[in-house]
Amino acid sequence: MKHNKILLSFFVVVLVLFSCTKLDERFRSELQQGNTASVSAAQLLTSAYQSIQGTFQGNGNLISSAQVTSDETIVPTRAGDWDDNGLWRQLFLHSWNADHSYLSGAYSSLLGTQFAASNVLQFSPSPQQAAEARFLRALSMYWVLDGWDQVPYRENLTDYKILPKTLKGTEAADFIISELNAIIATLPDGSPTSAFVANKDGARALLMKVYLNKAVFANRGKVVAPADFAAADMTQVITLADQIISSAKYALNDNFFDAFAPDNDTKSKENIFTLLNTGTSARGTDAMRGFQYMVNHYNMNPDGWNGWSTLSDFYDKFEATDQRRGGYYNYAGALPNPGHNTNAGFLIGQQYNLTTGAALNARSPATAPLAFTKAVKIKETDPNTLEMAGIRAVKYVFDYGTAGDFKKNDYVMLRYADVLLMKAEAMLRSNNAAGALTIVNSIRAKRGATALASVDLNAMLDERGREMYWESYRRQDLIRFGKYLLLWQEKPADAGTKNLLFPIPSSQLAVNPNLTQNPGYN
Amino acid sequence: MSCKNLLKTVSVIILLCVSQLIMAQERVISGRVTDSKDTSGVPGVTITAKGTKTGTATKSDGTFTLTVPSNVTTLVISSVGYATQELSIGGQTSIDVSLVATGGNLNEVVVTGYGTARRKDLTGATATVREKDFNKGVYTSPDQLIQGKAAGVLVINNTGQPGGSSTIRIRGSSSIRSGNQPLFVVDGVPLSGGSARPGGSGADYGNDGGNPLSFINPTDIASMEILKDASATAIYGSRGANGVILISTKKGKSGVPTVDVSASVGVSNVLKKLEVLDPGEFRQALKDYSQTSGDYKGDVDAFDAITRSAFTQNYNVAIGGGNENARYRISAGYLNQQGVIENSRLNKLTANITSSFRFLESKKLGLEMNVLVTQSDEKIAPISAFVGFTGNLISQALQWNPTHPLIKPGTDSAWIDPAVGSTTINPLATLNYFDDKAKVNTIIATITPSYQITKDLKYQFSYSINRQVGIRKGQLNRIINVTGIEGRGAAFINNQEQTNTQLTNTLNYNKQLSSKFNLNAVAGHEWLTFDSKGNGMNAQDFANLGLDYYDIMQYSTQTSRNIYSFANPTTELQSFFARAIVNYNDRFLVTGTIRADGSTRFGANNKYGYFPSVGVAWNISREDFLANTNAVSNLKLRLGWGQTGNQEFPSGASLNRFGLGQQSISQTNYGNPDLKWETTTTINAGIDFSLFKDRLTGSVDYFNKKTTDVLFEQTIAQPAPSGKIWVNLDGEVVNTGVEIMLTGNLMRSKDINWNLSTNVSFLDNIVNGLTGFYETGALRGQGFSNVFGQRVIAGQPLNVWYLGKFEGIDKTTGQSIYTGGDPSVNKFYVGSPNPKTLLGVSTDFSYKKFTATINMNGAFGHYLFNNTAASVLSITNLPNRNIAKSLIGVEPKEALSNAPAPSTRNLEKGNYVKMTNATISYRVGNVGKSIKNLNISLTGQNLFVITNYTGFDPEVNTDGGNGGIPSFGIEYIPYPSARTIHLGITFSL
Repeated sequence: MKHNKILLSFFVVVLVLFSCTKLDERFRSELQQGNTASVSAAQLLTSAYQSIQGTFQGNGNLISSAQVTSDETIVPTRAGDWDDNGLWRQLFLHSWNADHSYLSGAYSSLLGTQFAASNVLQFSPSPQQAAEARFLRALSMYWVLDGWDQVPYRENLTDYKILPKTLKGTEAADFIISELNAIIATLPDGSPTSAFVANKDGARALLMKVYLNKAVFANRGKVVAPADFAAADMTQVITLADQIISSAKYALNDNFFDAFAPDNDTKSKENIFTLLNTGTSARGTDAMRGFQYMVNHYNMNPDGWNGWSTLSDFYDKFEATDQRRGGYYNYAGALPNPGHNTNAGFLIGQQYNLTTGAALNARSPATAPLAFTKAVKIKETDPNTLEMAGIRAVKYVFDYGTAGDFKKNDYVMLRYADVLLMKAEAMLRSNNAAGALTIVNSIRAKRGATALASVDLNAMLDERGREMYWESYRRQDLIRFGKYLLLWQEKPADAGTKNLLFPIPSSQLAVNPNLTQNPGYN
Repeated sequence: MSCKNLLKTVSVIILLCVSQLIMAQERVISGRVTDSKDTSGVPGVTITAKGTKTGTATKSDGTFTLTVPSNVTTLVISSVGYATQELSIGGQTSIDVSLVATGGNLNEVVVTGYGTARRKDLTGATATVREKDFNKGVYTSPDQLIQGKAAGVLVINNTGQPGGSSTIRIRGSSSIRSGNQPLFVVDGVPLSGGSARPGGSGADYGNDGGNPLSFINPTDIASMEILKDASATAIYGSRGANGVILISTKKGKSGVPTVDVSASVGVSNVLKKLEVLDPGEFRQALKDYSQTSGDYKGDVDAFDAITRSAFTQNYNVAIGGGNENARYRISAGYLNQQGVIENSRLNKLTANITSSFRFLESKKLGLEMNVLVTQSDEKIAPISAFVGFTGNLISQALQWNPTHPLIKPGTDSAWIDPAVGSTTINPLATLNYFDDKAKVNTIIATITPSYQITKDLKYQFSYSINRQVGIRKGQLNRIINVTGIEGRGAAFINNQEQTNTQLTNTLNYNKQLSSKFNLNAVAGHEWLTFDSKGNGMNAQDFANLGLDYYDIMQYSTQTSRNIYSFANPTTELQSFFARAIVNYNDRFLVTGTIRADGSTRFGANNKYGYFPSVGVAWNISREDFLANTNAVSNLKLRLGWGQTGNQEFPSGASLNRFGLGQQSISQTNYGNPDLKWETTTTINAGIDFSLFKDRLTGSVDYFNKKTTDVLFEQTIAQPAPSGKIWVNLDGEVVNTGVEIMLTGNLMRSKDINWNLSTNVSFLDNIVNGLTGFYETGALRGQGFSNVFGQRVIAGQPLNVWYLGKFEGIDKTTGQSIYTGGDPSVNKFYVGSPNPKTLLGVSTDFSYKKFTATINMNGAFGHYLFNNTAASVLSITNLPNRNIAKSLIGVEPKEALSNAPAPSTRNLEKGNYVKMTNATISYRVGNVGKSIKNLNISLTGQNLFVITNYTGFDPEVNTDGGNGGIPSFGIEYIPYPSARTIHLGITFSL
C-alpha cells in the first residue's frame, strides 16, 4: 500500500503544481494598453492621417453620401450591373432607409477618424502633434455634424465604457470653432508644398466652412433661408479668407487640373490641406485607383467598372471654353495620347485608347463605339446603350507613371479656389454682390470662362458646382443654398425634410443610448 | 478507448487469477465468431469458460481454439460493441457463434469522456456509430462517416473539393457569432477545431478552409460516440454546448500479429452539371433577342473542359497484435484523390501507432502510447466564394460563351481574346495560370500512464501534444487578364503552425457498493494550451522565366509587397471536473456531472465557469411487471438537465489590444473584464427501448436547448477604437426538437440477415429577446455588391432569409415584378435556411457471402439561396456570356436588361434525399493458407439526389458570413460535388 500513498501524493502534487496557472493571456504580436512605452504619439498621428485618408479619399462611403446624393453624380443601374440591391439608386433618389450600408459606413468611418485623432492625445504628444491631432478631430467632427447633426464626443479618453456625450447643432459648431481657435497658434504655417501636414491655413479654411454653414447647423429640420445666415458669421468667413489670401502663399493654378495631377504636391499652388499619397502603401491608400474603377468603362485604360456618371443638366452648366469642363491635359505620368483626346474633366462622346489613339468599342454590343452619352436614366434597361449612358468625370487624372494601385495624386481636402469662393459667398450673403462678382470673375477668367455680369445665390451655387464638382462638397452646398430637396434630372422632389439629415446607424443606436434616431427614420 | 482496453485487460486478468484455483480435466473447443450483419469474422472477441479463469481471444478471421476443463458447460462470448452471449457447449468441440451488434446492447462499455460506462448506466442522449455502420466508401475526414447516421446530427459537405470543409450541427445552431461545430475528441485528445492550413493572399485563391479533421485516417477509426445533451456533454464544460463527438481509434488485440490490408480504386465524376445553353441554343437565344453580336462560330462546352473523370486510390495496412500485457497496432494509409476539377487533388499519408502495456508483477502500472502522423498535400482549385463579377473558375466556365473557342486557333494555349470582353476570363486560362498548393503536417503524440491503486480506484495521467504545420504557396501568371494581375502576376507564400498540449489527471472509482448499488465515478484536472502562429508574404510584378513566382519572391517590385506575421495570445484552459453514476439495482440511475473551466479567454471577473448537469433514468424493463416479458428486453426512461458552454471567441477578446500596422499602432480591441462563455441550458427527455428479442431497438428524445449570454462582437459607442468589444448580449437562441432512432433486425437466419435503421429529427430554432438585428448572408456576384440576404433578429429563426418577394416577369416590359416595388426597400422574412427535418436511413442485407448496404440521408423544410443562378447565369449575360437554360423559351419573355436582384426568385426549397452510398460486397473468405478474410466490394458514393433544388447540390454551404456572423444555406459557384464508384478489397494475413 506504500505505492498507493506515494502515487496519491504525487497526484496531489501534480494537481497543485498545475493549478497555479493564473490564466493570464500573453500577447505576442499585439500590445496591451499597459504597455504604452512602445506606443509613440508620432505613430498614432500617422495612424490618424491614414484613417482620414481611408475616410475621405477616393470612392469610399463618405463620397458616396456627399456626392451621389447630389445633382452632380448619378450611379445608374445598368441592367445586372450596379444594381447592388438598390443601394446606389437609394442614394440618388433620396430613398435611403435607416440601414443604408454606405451611410452607416460613412458615419462609422468619420467617427473612427475622430477616435484615431483623439487617441494621439493620450500618448504625450508634442504641442504640434497635439494640434495636428485636434485639427483632424475637428475636421471629422465637422463632417459628422454636417451629415448627421449628432456628434458623439468623448471627453474621457481612457475609459471607453463611459458613453460619449452627444454634441448637436450650434453647440457642436461652437465646439469645433473653439477647438480650431485653440490650436491655430500651435499649428505650423501652411504652404502649398507641405499642405499634407495640418496647418494654420487649413484650420482657417475649416473655420470658414463651419461659419459659412452655421445657419444650416442652427436650423436643423428645415430648409435654410438666406435670412438665417448671421452677418457676424459671414464677417468671420471674410476675415479668415483675407488672412489666407494676404499670406500670398497661394494662387490659382494656370491649369485647373494641376490641382489634381500626380505631382500636385509640388505643382499645385492651391493646396491648403491635402492627404498625402506617395505611390506606396507607406502613406496613402489605393483609393485614387478606386476612382477610376467607379467611373471608367471596362475597355478603357485603366479599366473600370463602368459606373458613376454626371447628369447632363450639370454638364450643361459649363461653357465650352471653360477649362474645368475638361479636355486634353498634358501632365507627368500621362499616356502618349497621340490624338490629344480628352483625358481630364468630363468624358463625353467617343473614347479612345490613350496609347494608340484608336477609337474604343463597347463590350456589349462589342461592335458599338464606346461613346458616352448625355442621356442617362437611374435605371438603364436598353442593352444596346446602357454601357455608354452617362457622361463620366475625371478630376484626379490617372497616374500611369506609378505601377500598382497606390497612386501619387494627393487628395485635396481644402484648396485656395474654395477659400475664394467661400469668401465671395460670404460677401454675397453680406449684401456685397459687387465684391463677390469680382472674386467669381477672377476665378472664371483663370479657368477660361467668360465673365459674369452679375452674381446672385443661384449663380454662386452654379459657380461652386463648376469649380468644386466631384470634391464631395455638393451636398453641403445644395443644402446651404436650400436646393437639396428639390426635383432635378431623374430625381423627384423629396417629401418632407427628413433627408436633410442622414439616419443614425442602428448599430450605433444599439450601443450608445445618448444617440437618438434623426426625425423621420423610425 | 484507452480506458475501455484497460478495463477489459483488467477483467481478463482477474478472470485468469480466479480460474487458477480450479484444477480439472480438459478438452479443446474450436470455432468461429462472426458478425450477424455480414457474417465476417470478428477478431479480438473474448471467449471465457464460465466459472473458470480459462479464456482466449479470437484471431483476425474470428476463429478461436480454447482448452477448457471438462466440467465447463457454458462459454461466455463478449466483445466491445456486441451483445455478450452465453453458450451452452454440451458435448460439442466445434462451435460457431454469431454476435449481434445493436444499440440495445446494455452491457456494452461505451466511452463517455474521461472514462467509460456501461451503456445501461447512461442517462444522457448519446449515439454510437461503429465501424460496421459507417458510411461506405473512401472519405477524407471522419465526420463524413456519420452523415445521416444519428438523429439530430446534420453533416453537410460545404464543397465538393477533396478534403473540403463541412458543417456539422448537433441539434441545430445555438450560437449567433460563436462557433457551432461540435467539439471533437480523438482518443481523449480534444481538438482545437482549427487547422494550420493557411489561406491564400493577394488574389482570389480558393477560400475553403479545408476540413480540420482530415488528418485522421477514417480507416483507423473504430467507433464514434456522439454526445448530444448536457447530461453527456457537461463533462466538457465550456466547450460542450455544441455537442461532443468522441472518436475512438482501433487498437491492437492480443494474439498473434495480424496484417489487415485494404485497397481501393475509384473513379469520380461531377454529380450534376448545371444546364446552360449549348452553342445551338445560344445562337437561337441571340436570334430571339435580336442580338447581332455574340456568335463567335465555335462550339465548346467550357464546363466539360474544366472537369474530368477523377481517379482515387486508397491503400491501408494495419498490423496489430500482442498479449495481455502488451498490445500494439501500427497502421499506414495512402490516399490519392483527384478532384473532378482539373488539377485539383488531395494526397494524404497517414501513420498511426497505438500501444498499451501493463507493468509490474501486479500489472497495476499501465501505459499507453499513441502517435499519429499525417501529411496532406493539396492542389487547390481556383474556386473562391469571395468573388464579385470577375467570378471564379466555376462561374467563368458556366458563363463562357459556348460559341467562342477556348483554345486559340493554331495554338494549344487558352485564348485570351479581348473581343469577348476584357473582363471575361477564359476558364482554361484560370486553370493553366493559377497554381495553389497547401501542405499540412500533423503529429499527435499521447502518453498515458495509469496505476490501479486499489481494485476500484485507478489513477491516470495523460499528456498529449498536437502539432500542425502548414505551408501554402500560390501564383497567378501575368498572362491572365484578371484586373490587377494582367501584365504583373502575383504570388504568395503563407505559413501557419499550431501547437496544442493537454495534461490530464483523472481518478476513476468503480465499485459495487452493495449488492444493489454500483458507483462509477471520475474526478480530474485538466490543463490545455493552444498556440497558433503564422506569417506570410505576397507580392506582384514577376517575369515569366520558366520559374515559379513563389520561388523568386525577391524579383517582385518593392511597392507590391505585403508581409505579415502574427502570434495569437496563448490560450489556456484549466479545468476541474467530476462525474458520478449511481446505479441502484439496475433500475434507477443518477448521473451528476460538474466541470469548472478557467480560461485565459474569459474576462478577469469571470475567470471560471461552472457547468453542472444531472441526469436520471428509470429502467422500467427491470421492474417486476416487465421482467418476465419476452417482448420487452429494455425499456428505459431518461431525463436530463444541464448547462454547458461555448467559448469560441478569439484569444485576447477580453483585453485591450493594440494592433500594429505599417509604422503604426492602433487599438484593435477594447477590453471587457466581464466577458464570459455562452451558456446553453438543455433539458432532455428520452426513452430507449429494445423489443422482440432485440429485433427492434430504438430511442425517442425530446430536447429544449436554450442559449443565453449570447457572445457578440460589437462596435463600441463611437468614437472609439476601430476595434470591437466582445460582449454577452441579452437575448437567447432556443432549439427544440424530437429525435427518433429505430433499428430493426428484420430477418435473422443462418444465411440471411436484414437490418434496417432509420433516424428522424424534427428541429425548431428561434431567436428571442435580441435588441436590433444583425445582417449576414452575403450574396455576391455582378450587381450584388454589399448585399446581405439573412438576418439575426428576435422572433425569427437564426439566419432567417430577408429578401424581396418575386412575383414574376412583367408581360409588357419583361422586367421582374416584386411585392411592393423595389426589392431593395421592400423586404420580407421569407423562410429559414435551417432544416426542420433530418432523415437518415441505413439498411444492410446479407445472403450467404453477399452483403448489400445502402445509406441515405436527407434534410427537409429549409430554403437555400441559389446565388449561382441569381448572379452568374442571369439573362443580362447575353449576348456575350452564357445563361441558364431555364430562362429561355418561357413566357413571359424576360428582358435582357432585367437586373438580377436578391429576391425569392432564387430562394429554393432545399428538401433532398441523397443516396449517400451503396455497397455490394462478397466475402471470398480464406484463400490458400496465407490470405484470410478476403472481401471484395463495389461502392457507389453520392449516387443520386432526389430534390427539386436546381443548383449543383442541395448539400452545400458557401461562406457568406458578415463580420464574423456565419451564413447558412447559400450556394455560390462552389466546387461541384462528385459521384464516385470504388472497387475495394480487404484481406488479412
